[in-house]
Amino acid sequence: MKRTDLSANNISKCFSEPGEDGLLYVLEDMDFEIKEGEFVTILGPSGCGKSTFLNILAGFETANQGHAVCCGEPVRGPSPERAVVFQSPVLFPWMDVKNNIMYGLKQTGKKKDDAQRITAEYIRAVGLDDFDNYYPSQLSGGMQQRVALARSLILDPKVLLMDEPFAALDAQTRYSMQQLLLQLWERNRQTIVFITHDVEEALLLSDRICIMGKRPGKIIEEIAVPFERPRPISLTGSGDFTQLKSHILSRLLV
Amino acid sequence: MTARMHENNERLGFAGLILPVALFTIWYIATLDGGVPAYLLPSPLDLARTAIDFTAGSERLSPYSGTLLVHTIASLQRVLTGFGLAAVIGLPLGFLTGRLALAKSSLDPTVHLIRIIPGIGWLPLAMVWFGVGEKTTVFLISLAAFFPIYVNAAQGAASVSPMLIRAGRMLGANDLAIFTTVIIPASMPSTVAGLRLGLGLSWAYLVLGELTGVTHGLGAVMMDARMLGNVEMILVAMIFIGLFGRISDLILTSSFRKLNLLKRSYEE
Repeated sequence: MKRTDLSANNISKCFSEPGEDGLLYVLEDMDFEIKEGEFVTILGPSGCGKSTFLNILAGFETANQGHAVCCGEPVRGPSPERAVVFQSPVLFPWMDVKNNIMYGLKQTGKKKDDAQRITAEYIRAVGLDDFDNYYPSQLSGGMQQRVALARSLILDPKVLLMDEPFAALDAQTRYSMQQLLLQLWERNRQTIVFITHDVEEALLLSDRICIMGKRPGKIIEEIAVPFERPRPISLTGSGDFTQLKSHILSRLLV
Repeated sequence: MTARMHENNERLGFAGLILPVALFTIWYIATLDGGVPAYLLPSPLDLARTAIDFTAGSERLSPYSGTLLVHTIASLQRVLTGFGLAAVIGLPLGFLTGRLALAKSSLDPTVHLIRIIPGIGWLPLAMVWFGVGEKTTVFLISLAAFFPIYVNAAQGAASVSPMLIRAGRMLGANDLAIFTTVIIPASMPSTVAGLRLGLGLSWAYLVLGELTGVTHGLGAVMMDARMLGNVEMILVAMIFIGLFGRISDLILTSSFRKLNLLKRSYEE
């Protein structure tokens, strides 16, 4: 059995409600576990606290109760071993593609030659070969998200936390980004926590799906995705797929 | 969208020419045949001749023949010293005020209290402290330029998107790196606006300082020419101050644009 890579025990998070004395619980007693190399999606309706949960795993926010543990160490803040891909790319607009991707390597104090070489590798890996001197504002949304993916993966993170990374993309671009992500994941097998509200996306990408219920958010059901990889797009038309999809939808709509 | 903006610019360029051309024509006609006496308003041609003489010294029209360079260097030195001082003090204090609550609460109230006093109001005190001339001019320039530089740097640093800072953090940047590689570049659009305001004020206060009596400098030329009743020279000096102010502004903005720090396209 593989060791647990990232877990959260009994996490609660609340905010004070504006104009009221009461506390608004966004997450309550949330438990979560992911094994090394596993690809898990967290699926939930909007406002269920799934982004807040991811921010706690990333170390951007602290829980009011409970804590996240990564590789045996409690999470105390953001770290490159838990890289994040946000919903919007959040690139540095004053840096070109190359420097955006190289940013993390520079922080580690990597030698310039090595950093350049590795960066070129990752630029190629995300299919941006001829765009290394472009600035983010000159790229499409999908291309920007490729840069965001590359700058996180280049640090060889143990865990990749993805917060609805493809939600803002059009259908074709989203599909090609999903394929790119799977292809890169097959290569290095990072542990991936992937937040989405798209049931098909969850079924196509992940090993396991955690369904979150409405506020206060907690996981109400876990489903191991039974489909073999690689999962072709034609899978979405199959009976098993649609059956599982409608089951999940019915849980989300409760 | 870029195409539409260009079109707008061109139309603006043409419309913008109408008023100066009209003014120039009225000016030319008014000074024709001594309609308006030359000691009040010289004709455009006289003015052009004076400007050329001031620059090249070709016509020996006045004691100012060919002295443009000397006066410009003197003025430029004062502007650069004063503006440089203001930037060296204003930028770091502004960035700190924008990011650290402690810096803000300890600095901001005092700075804004001092800011209420108009810069010109410091002139008598500066003359007592620093005497007439050089030091007073540099003091007035740096004092005036400091406030917009400080205020805009602080505002820029305070409004950096928290998402950019999160991105930097999860990519492994420590506090110092966040400051130098995220906060400072991200606050540049506002900061450069402050620097431009400061530079503009620097030229304004240069003239004020030089009017108090220095031997060289474009402001000194104006004051001198007034005593000699040489209106052409006053106007020529004014034009050159405007010209240098504009050129210095262009150099400032284009150098930051080259560094790609003025892009407003924060994709959030």
